[in-house]
Amino acid sequence: MQPHTNDAPLDGNAAGGLLSELFAFDVTTASVICEGCETQGEVAQARVYGGTMGALLRCAHCDTVMIRLVHTPHGFWLDMRGARSFFVKPPAE
Amino acid sequence: MIRNGSDSAVPRRLQWQTAEVSGLIDETPRVRSLVLTLPDWPGHKPGQHVDIRLTGEDGYRAQRSYSIASAPESENVMLTVERIEDGEVSPYLSIDVRKGDKFELRGPIGGHFVWTSALQGPLFLIAGGSGVAPLMAMLRHRAAAKNKAPATLLYSSRAFEDIIYRTELERLAAMGDGLKIVHTLTRQQPAGWAGGARRIDRAMLESEGFPPAARPRIFICGPTRLVESASQIMLDLGHEANLIKTERFGPTGG
Repeated sequence: MQPHTNDAPLDGNAAGGLLSELFAFDVTTASVICEGCETQGEVAQARVYGGTMGALLRCAHCDTVMIRLVHTPHGFWLDMRGARSFFVKPPAE
Repeated sequence: MIRNGSDSAVPRRLQWQTAEVSGLIDETPRVRSLVLTLPDWPGHKPGQHVDIRLTGEDGYRAQRSYSIASAPESENVMLTVERIEDGEVSPYLSIDVRKGDKFELRGPIGGHFVWTSALQGPLFLIAGGSGVAPLMAMLRHRAAAKNKAPATLLYSSRAFEDIIYRTELERLAAMGDGLKIVHTLTRQQPAGWAGGARRIDRAMLESEGFPPAARPRIFICGPTRLVESASQIMLDLGHEANLIKTERFGPTGG
C-alpha cells in the first residue's frame, strides 16, 4: 500500500488502523450488508476515502456511505447508518 | 480480539510505538526500502500493513499506510516507499530519512489481504509498480517456509530501472521451487528485452496465470486502474470472487 489522497479511494483494509481505535475486533474482515443495495461483502472490499482525521467507507457496488468515522481532538464520531448489519467471525487460531 | 501476526489467544490492541530506521536500501531511482527496528513487534502475516505517523515541529501530523515488504521470518520489518512528488510523507521517507531516525508506527493491520504458506493451492500475484511490496512479503515468506506450491508473479513496471527487488526476484526464481516471475515494461524496454512490453491485459493474465479449475489464490496490488481491470478480467476468466484479493493505492499524494 502506498500513501493516498482524499480523492483516490482505497480498499477498506486501508482503514484497519483507524477502525482498530474503536473496535475490539478486526472490522475489515467482517462482512457488512449495505443499506443502499443490500449487497453483502467484506468491509475490506469497500472503498475508503479519507486521511488522518477520518474515513468514509462507501459500498463498492452502489457507492452508499456505509461508515463515516471522524477523529476530532476530543474523540470520535461514528455514523454507521449505511451499514445494515455486520457479521463477525471470531479470529482463527 | 484484534487479529495480529502472532497466534496469541490474548487480545492485543494496536498501540503506537517508536520505530527506528536501522537500514536504508535504494531499490530504484524513485523507491527506497526502510529497515526498521521495533521494540515491541508481535510479528505479522505477509500482506499486512502498518500506519506511520509523522509529527512536525509545529505539531502538524501526517499519517500514511505502508505495506510490510519483509517476511515474518525476517528479524526486522521492511517498508518500501515510492517517492510521490508533492507528497507530505513520502519525500521524507524516501529522501530525507537517515539511519537512526525515529517515527511513530502502529501495526500490523489487516486480515483480508493476507497469504500464508499454510494456505493450499497455487498462488498468482499481480503487481503494478510499488504495489509489489506486500506481494514481496508473500514471496519472501514462501521461500523461507520452503513452500513448493506453484506460484507466479506478474509484475508491471514502467522501465527496467524501475523494477523493485529485481536481483532478489531473479534469485528467488532461480531456486527452482515452482516460482515463476514474469515482467512487463509499459513505457520503455531495453534492447533485446524478452519480457512483456505492454500493460497487464487479458491475454497476459490468461497465459501467465493458472486456470480457474486450479483454484489459485490471487492477490492484486497496484494503482487503482490496474487493480480494477485485472480483478474484473480474473472474474471474467472464471476465477471465484472469494479467491481474488485486491489492494489499491492512489497514484498521487503521499
